[in-house]
Amino acid sequence: MVAQDFKIINNKYNFCVVFCMVFFLILPVRTIASELNIYSHRQPFLINPFLEAFTKKTGIKTNVVYSTKGLAQRLKAEGQNTPADVILTVDIGRLQVYADLKLLAEINSDKLYKNIPSHLRSSDKTWVGLSKRSRIIVVSKSRIKPASISRIEDLANPIWKNKICTRPGSHVYNRALMASMIAAKGIDEATKWAKGLVKNLARRPQGNDRAQVKAIYEGQCDIAIINNYYYGKLKYSDDPKQRKWAEELSLIFPNQDKDDRGAHINISGGGIAKYSKNKKNAVKLLEFLSEEASQKLYGTINFEYPVNPKVKPTKILQDWGTFREDKLPIQRIAEFSLDAQKIIDVVGW
Amino acid sequence: MWWVGKIVVLNYFRTNVWNLTTVIISLLLLWPIASLIVLSFGDSQGLWKHLVEHVMFKYVTTTLTLMVGVLALALLFGITTAWIVTNYDFPLKKYVDLILILPAACPGYLVAYAYTDFFEYAGPIQGILRNVMGWSNASEYYFPEIRSVAGAIFVLASVLYPYIYLLVRTAFSLTPTSLLEVSSIYGRSKFWNVSLPIARPAIAASSALVCMEVVSDFGTVEYFSLETLTLGIFNVWIGMNNITAASQIAIFTFLFIILLLLVETRSRSEKRFHDTSRHQSRLYTKEISMAKRLGLILLCSIPVLCGFFIPISILISNINQFFNFKDLTTIIPILLNTMLVASLGSIIIVSIATFLACTTAAKGNKKLQSFVNLSTMGYAFPGTMLAIGVLIMAGVVDRSLNNNYFFSYLSTKPIFVSGTLSVLLFAYLVRFLAVGYSANLSGLSKISANLNWASRTLSTSFSNTITHVSIPLIKKSIIAGGLLAFVDITKELPMTLLLRPFNFETLATHTYQFAHDELMAKAALPALIIILFGLIPVIFLNNILKK
Repeated sequence: MVAQDFKIINNKYNFCVVFCMVFFLILPVRTIASELNIYSHRQPFLINPFLEAFTKKTGIKTNVVYSTKGLAQRLKAEGQNTPADVILTVDIGRLQVYADLKLLAEINSDKLYKNIPSHLRSSDKTWVGLSKRSRIIVVSKSRIKPASISRIEDLANPIWKNKICTRPGSHVYNRALMASMIAAKGIDEATKWAKGLVKNLARRPQGNDRAQVKAIYEGQCDIAIINNYYYGKLKYSDDPKQRKWAEELSLIFPNQDKDDRGAHINISGGGIAKYSKNKKNAVKLLEFLSEEASQKLYGTINFEYPVNPKVKPTKILQDWGTFREDKLPIQRIAEFSLDAQKIIDVVGW
Repeated sequence: MWWVGKIVVLNYFRTNVWNLTTVIISLLLLWPIASLIVLSFGDSQGLWKHLVEHVMFKYVTTTLTLMVGVLALALLFGITTAWIVTNYDFPLKKYVDLILILPAACPGYLVAYAYTDFFEYAGPIQGILRNVMGWSNASEYYFPEIRSVAGAIFVLASVLYPYIYLLVRTAFSLTPTSLLEVSSIYGRSKFWNVSLPIARPAIAASSALVCMEVVSDFGTVEYFSLETLTLGIFNVWIGMNNITAASQIAIFTFLFIILLLLVETRSRSEKRFHDTSRHQSRLYTKEISMAKRLGLILLCSIPVLCGFFIPISILISNINQFFNFKDLTTIIPILLNTMLVASLGSIIIVSIATFLACTTAAKGNKKLQSFVNLSTMGYAFPGTMLAIGVLIMAGVVDRSLNNNYFFSYLSTKPIFVSGTLSVLLFAYLVRFLAVGYSANLSGLSKISANLNWASRTLSTSFSNTITHVSIPLIKKSIIAGGLLAFVDITKELPMTLLLRPFNFETLATHTYQFAHDELMAKAALPALIIILFGLIPVIFLNNILKK
């Protein structure tokens, strides 16, 4: 009887179990390859055109894993054995997370530092900004005079009660905006502003920036805060409905007065994994992304502004008007992120 | 005398080989969860004071409301329809029975996307209402908001009730006729006094799955901006850059779920639900009038409309507007990837689940069983958190693989598991084992232990008893569990997103990149394919459970 227990492969059921165990042992394992491996927080359909151009130019093949969350933890868990070479993110907060976990290598490239102004890269050379997006105010063309709002601070004014729509405060873009308020005004003033803003909301914060524009079009609210590129995405959408939403909008670049700080901007950026086995090619990719052709591509694909001062924004972006940006070193935004989230929790944005 | 020692050790090993293997497998499964627990021991930088003061109460109440609401509505949908289908005769019954389980193929987050377009202020329903009633803006009328707790309850219950329907229907149809006859004689209710109590293990098992799905759901609550514990985990982790506090919330939620399940298991621990009499096929279905029959069909169609036909038609209408043949060709390799992970994943899950169920429940080993139960709890964790646990584990495995002389001897190049399909499949196993395991258990609960004992008395070994008695008897349940796991993997998003190898897209991740940007038009086609693809196993499942 006991001996029979040992005859493991005595029929198909047991065979199945054994098969699985063996399967786990022989299943795909990864060996080191020479291609450039990218962890991206940016959607594949937005990043692929850049990578195709890069491969065409340099002959270096690229591989991508895209995820909105958790890639920093993946890189950390993999440690020295990581296959990743380049990290690409769509906001400063996530970029700083990699830096805080000490997962990024120092980038040594004069070309890169010539192309990217110093307030858009980290002081310790671990990451660089690759494109800019501005958080702007949009209002209903027919119901609100654009001149009546000139600063982001104005949104806390009680005259706008039940007029404003936003996505949830804890989204990275709003958190970064909140952090820029803290940097400009201090925690107390920023909290006061956030309280005022929340009181003015026409509905519970929900949806993404696109959904806020839709709400303006449908008359649920008159004012929204969105990233500038959403306006472009809607205005040039395949969907005639969405093009109509965009027609209903006027754009306001906030805080443009001569002595004001300028409009809050965020960056999409990148860094190189500390344990990358392919650092030379990784630098090449970042350099490629900061060059004129790619900088223009950011504008045409996703309506973002170039970080490279030598490159002009695309024609479409220029048509929306020029604006002065908040020159706050972008790293400060990440530093205030925790305080910003706390305020957001307290006021219930 | 060395051979005496050898015999003792070998004998111990021989008699306990099943238990030992079971313990080892369970430990492996618990490893990712243990990693999270270790992670939660870090420094939370005093965040808890802030959390408790400002958000924790909101997170807990929203989660509880959502859970109770979804469960109540899903039970209502599931039990009512199961009762109607097993107890009444009406035209088209065969088809009604089949379509009732279709929503199982729909991922909650996709249904949420579809309904938002449909019901929100800018959507067609309110548009039509405004046109017909002559209203001009939102302030002139009341319309319930879809992006709310009630909306989420509606969406989640509509797609989760098939879990309850499937198991409860089977339980109802196996209710011994003798008991029903007795209740008729005494003028008692067949439903309240017989069938419902008999179906209790099925109801409990399926409710547990529903609860765990709700607690770990991220897609729907994020889309509706509901402040549940899961959303809180992400606010703390991403927003406050504090994974320690985030994993503490995850563990807290996990413990809460375990507590709930313990209460339920305890409360029925002394009761036995299997039937030792010979099964008689059910002959009595009620004769009812034509009007009533139509009524029943309508009643049964409500949950299916909510969970399947309406969202599907919204998706199809989106595709019609923007159909592009190129999109279809890019989807084929993605479909193949999905098929690969779903079939491999479900085979692994079923094999391990059956093995564990046989070495514990079938053997009647209570202690071991509670340990194994614990290791199937991955289901209660939000996918992303569990994925982080798996990542940490894979990192440790990689380091030991490459530091160890023995392993480096096997390969000239360094080899790693993290970032491979193996890790993804293991993660599926940890997360969805509960699906396969509970299907096994509910199968085993219906066969009498006497059968096993009878077999053992006939000097058959344990492994032979299992393979020749237990497994054939619960074959249907096993396959059902496998098919459910297959559908679950097809729909799975957060773990696949984070753990997949380079350049590896599944239908869910492909849909997500568009849906995340609220590009419904582009997301609609892959979304529809996820659902259609999920339908195949769901229909198989139905056939198996009915035979």
